[in-house]
Amino acid sequence: MHSLPAQPVVQLRHVSKEYYRDKLRIPVLADTSLDIPAGEFVAVMGPSGSGKSTLLNLCAGLDRPTTGTIVVAGQDLGELSESQLTRWRSEHLGFIFQLYNLMPVLTAFENVELPLLLTNLSRRERARHVETALRIVGLEDRMHHYPRQLSGGQEQRVAIARAIVTDPVLLLADEPTGNLDAVAAVEVLDLLAQLNAEFGKTIVMVTHDPRAARRAHRILHLEKGRFEEADIEAIERGRSSGGDGERRRSPRAPSAEIAG
Amino acid sequence: MDKLGDGLRELVTGPDRWLNLGLLAGGFMVLALLTLAARALLRIPLKYTLRSLRARWVSSLMTLFGAALVVWASVLAFGLAAGLDHTLQVSSDPLDLLALRKGATAETSSIIEESLARQIATLPGIATNQRGQPLCSPELVVVVNKPRRTGGGHANVLVRGVTPVARELRPNFRLIAGRLPRTGLREAMTSPSMAGRFYGCRLGESLEVWGSQFRIVGLFTCGESAAESEVWTDLKVLGQTSKRPNLLSSVQLRAASPSAMAVLKDRLVNDEQFALKAVTEAEYFAEQAVAGLAIKIVGRIISFFLTIGACFAVANTMFGAVASRAREIGTLRALGFSRSNILAAFLIESLVLAMLGGLLGCLATLPLNGLSTGTANWQTFSEITFAFRFGPKVLLQGAALSVLMGLIGGMLPALRAVLMNTVEALREV
Repeated sequence: MHSLPAQPVVQLRHVSKEYYRDKLRIPVLADTSLDIPAGEFVAVMGPSGSGKSTLLNLCAGLDRPTTGTIVVAGQDLGELSESQLTRWRSEHLGFIFQLYNLMPVLTAFENVELPLLLTNLSRRERARHVETALRIVGLEDRMHHYPRQLSGGQEQRVAIARAIVTDPVLLLADEPTGNLDAVAAVEVLDLLAQLNAEFGKTIVMVTHDPRAARRAHRILHLEKGRFEEADIEAIERGRSSGGDGERRRSPRAPSAEIAG
Repeated sequence: MDKLGDGLRELVTGPDRWLNLGLLAGGFMVLALLTLAARALLRIPLKYTLRSLRARWVSSLMTLFGAALVVWASVLAFGLAAGLDHTLQVSSDPLDLLALRKGATAETSSIIEESLARQIATLPGIATNQRGQPLCSPELVVVVNKPRRTGGGHANVLVRGVTPVARELRPNFRLIAGRLPRTGLREAMTSPSMAGRFYGCRLGESLEVWGSQFRIVGLFTCGESAAESEVWTDLKVLGQTSKRPNLLSSVQLRAASPSAMAVLKDRLVNDEQFALKAVTEAEYFAEQAVAGLAIKIVGRIISFFLTIGACFAVANTMFGAVASRAREIGTLRALGFSRSNILAAFLIESLVLAMLGGLLGCLATLPLNGLSTGTANWQTFSEITFAFRFGPKVLLQGAALSVLMGLIGGMLPALRAVLMNTVEALREV
């Protein structure tokens, strides 16, 4: 759908990020550089507090780096004002959250339509886009259901439809399978792989689940704010032997049991 | 159209001009905000707002009823004040002059010799009617205590003895039932609202005044002025009955021109032959309006504090709404909705809440419209009958109040929603 630009979709140059909590300096990312070429499916792994979510928030322009530059889809995010960033986000990014983050009072159709309300599309055009997106995720028959009437996997698929309805270059997924059972997790991962393969979407997915990560082209491992070569086998061994036990919130997340 | 013009003039020059102008300014602010909000409305859909209110229907409904109650009470107070204002309003010509005994504050405490009235009538500068008679009306008022039809108890009723010229000095006078009392007979007329409020005041009934029965032969209206709180009869008959022959309470007259009025006033006050007190009707009723002032002040104070309370109720509900929807707000921000989109959405939510309440409150006052009541006129100790008046102005005040409640109550929570850190909001469960 997008012609592949020569430039990487995501480009981090010497990015560091620190927070201050009660005058205590908390470094999250330290001098990180990263290129994600167009059409790549990248998984970001690492223990809690390693900076995975921060990385995602920085790429989305929800947060600003302490130092360094971030160029996403050819745009230096540091050059944009807060409101420009907001607008840019609506045009270039799709977000997928661990807890789906659908508006409970809106139907599947209305939820997917939300990002289109920021465009100048007519009602008819919006409906066409929404229906297409819902068809891609296989939920065109659940269009008028409210989130509470859907299963977790279906909710996440609606959220994915919402993320792709504006046809963004980059999809950012924060633990997209973290709250799903094994079957639903596989469905969601299949869908992401399909979006990547068929529609050429660049995807950055933060995950704790090595089997989810395996679906990606490349796995980045964040450790104390730096990227390290990911050794998926080692991670899996660590997990099966009691492991890091660091999943943030996964009340019903048997994601470790996903058949590989 | 005339009424509209009068209404507008009263809006900017009347005694309530600061309140009205404040409300007007508030209205314009609201309009500006609504325009801004309307632009944002195209972004965050109204159905999101409305369904969110419905999703939290218990607290929404309670807040709505709270707002309704406050608007209801305030509109009632405003309507009461407006009704009283209207009753005490100058209904006659600005060239009208009321002559009383020097030192008298009201007609009831004023005595003027009838012979003096005849001399006044001959003064130059008094307007004349078509038949060439001077518009100079000698009048005698007598206060009688009469049982009320509703609510029990007794109240003072003002009985006014007049000559035919009295009607000409009251341009709004209309006989609406029966006929005029005949000169020299014990006949009287009064207003429909008095007929409803006092025994002996209905058409065909008899009202006892100083031991004599006066038959009510006619009902009149007088532009809802104070005259509608009175019983009118023949001057001579009332003088004899009340054992005050050849005495008057006041002389009402109309000057031919403003300059003539100044001369007349000066003559009546400073000429030793008269040495009277001469006031315009506006001045007279300004003195009488003390009762109205009390009702107004109390009404304003009550509605002021009620409104503050309602603002807190709205704010509380909206703070709850914002807190429980932190993740939704973060999501909207992540999807690309701007801070002003969010601000507008939450402001509209609180506005809808308060305005629905306001609408309900205003509707709840409608059954009381026109319901008349009375208050003691603290100068004459006779009762003034007046009706709740929920004109457009009063309803507008009620509507403005609810908008104000929604805006003030919703502003802080909406700002909180706007200033929320997106990253942190997204972490909320």
